[in-house]
Amino acid sequence: MSAPSRVGDGLDARIRLSRGEIEVDVTLTAEPGQVIGVLGPNGGGKTTTVLALAGVLPLAEGHVRVGGQVWDDGRRRLAPEQRAVGLMLADSLLFPHLRALDNVAFGPRSRGVGRHEARDRARTELERVGLSDRTAARPRELSSGQQARVALARALATDPALLLLDEPLAALDPDTRARTRSDLAARLTAYDGVTVLVTHDPLDALTLADHLVFVEDGRVTQFGTPAEVLSEPRSAYVGTVVGLNLYAAQGDSHGHVHTADGGLIVTTSPTEGAVWATVPPSAVSLHRHHPEGSPRNTWRLRIASVTMQGQSARIGLVGEVPLTAEVTLESVTALGLQVGQDVWAAVKATEVRTYPR
Amino acid sequence: MRYAVRWRSRVALGVPAALALLLLVVPLVALLLRADWARIPADLATPTVLPALRLSLTTTSVTAVLCLLLGTPLAWFLARSEHRATSWVRALLTVPLVLPPVVGGVALLMTWGRNGLIGQYLTPFGIQIPFTTVAVVLAETFVAMPYYVLAVEGAMRGLDPRLESVARTLGASDLRYLRTVGIPLVLPGIASGLALAWARALGEFGATITFAGNFQGRTQTLPLLVYVELERDPQVAISISIMLLAVSVLVLGVLRGRWLR
Repeated sequence: MSAPSRVGDGLDARIRLSRGEIEVDVTLTAEPGQVIGVLGPNGGGKTTTVLALAGVLPLAEGHVRVGGQVWDDGRRRLAPEQRAVGLMLADSLLFPHLRALDNVAFGPRSRGVGRHEARDRARTELERVGLSDRTAARPRELSSGQQARVALARALATDPALLLLDEPLAALDPDTRARTRSDLAARLTAYDGVTVLVTHDPLDALTLADHLVFVEDGRVTQFGTPAEVLSEPRSAYVGTVVGLNLYAAQGDSHGHVHTADGGLIVTTSPTEGAVWATVPPSAVSLHRHHPEGSPRNTWRLRIASVTMQGQSARIGLVGEVPLTAEVTLESVTALGLQVGQDVWAAVKATEVRTYPR
Repeated sequence: MRYAVRWRSRVALGVPAALALLLLVVPLVALLLRADWARIPADLATPTVLPALRLSLTTTSVTAVLCLLLGTPLAWFLARSEHRATSWVRALLTVPLVLPPVVGGVALLMTWGRNGLIGQYLTPFGIQIPFTTVAVVLAETFVAMPYYVLAVEGAMRGLDPRLESVARTLGASDLRYLRTVGIPLVLPGIASGLALAWARALGEFGATITFAGNFQGRTQTLPLLVYVELERDPQVAISISIMLLAVSVLVLGVLRGRWLR
């Protein structure tokens, strides 16, 4: 975590409230200029957290402090229009009857800036997202990517201390998404407030965020830099997101790792006690017959699924140690891999990492 | 055999359907057939028609403005509220829709009359509401407002509530959101609500004659005049009726063409 002195100027929040079925209890801290990526399964409380930060939903308990100002201390609450906050949602939600320029000028105007000044500001913001030639267009005349950029410009035109982006790229098609992602990244580097980016796309989070927060079932399950999270996932969901086979297990000093399901994995980097063990899918090799030689881990497993991903295939395996293996398309055909078939899976002990749980 | 069965069911359904259609259409045709088209302009220019026309136009316009100014905020509260009481308010609103207008007139008398719920406090100041033009407006508003509020509320419910969340984070108060985003986006709903309310007010008869009476130039609107002229000069009544029919069709056409699906 970051030094407390700078967090005081940034975001310091504890969000506690229940909404529908879910009880949310999420702590978020960030320094000015940082981008916090909030990931998690749908219905886990991500959007609820964002709406509470914006002031649209009231806290049951907790606090929200931004830029040294108290927005909510559990008793007194600033209304959304009193907060220096910017909000951008998946559907850009532009005001359909206003031109791009007036959409962006809406915020400054609402906060008492004169018409001319507000439009000048709006023009500047649209320029920053590369839309200086589309100021007069109505939202329906803009492409989805352009709409997203206008929505970003609109959210930033009020100089928010906290920028909330809830799945900002989710509604875009893949091509547009890639381009808009880099536009977004460029714009965010020039922004000195705190950004909270909610997404379920790991690529968004890894390319845009300085810190990742995983929220599952209303709770934070992991917090860290992308590098930390990538190498040491700490929940099944995080394991899936970063693409590692992850096991909750017990380790001993000899390098034996016993998984909760009764499987045995051997590693050259032993950790004693309750551990997480990871196996990269690319480290798994598949064989028709029992493999000879160096690999210390071999299991007889059944193929449950085969999915293609570019030039490689992901093979879902069930048995003693459930595994996802990533193999080339050639080996799929050479081995004649089919769902329901039994194969040998081998993993070198050096590829198995363990760390305390 | 199968053919016979099909034929029989066709008749069983087709005959009542045709009857229903005839019940609705024949009176309109009869009205048009009995009209003396050449006389209509002269009929509409008679000294009794002009004051009634003017009165109808002013009172229905004032009613429309009242709907707009008072009904729009009510529609907004109904549209955004999730409180259980809201459905009760909405149910109350629909009562004037189904209430016999003459009952509405009696209710208005009980409210604004000399000894009425509110009227008793106005009498000492020499203010008398019943049998005045104000009473005509009150009667028309009573029957027309629900049409307006329900139409506008429906339109407002169609708005994405997240638009309001975004507007508020941008710094807009409720009033500013409504003025700059909410109302512009429901203008079609407001227009169709106004047209419906205005048409309903224009045709108002029962509540008006009960609560406001039938005084020429003061409370005698076009429908009331039709009623009177039917005794005195049926041809004038027919001419006015034709005009009202034309206006109704016009309103309907405007609604269909632009605002109704």
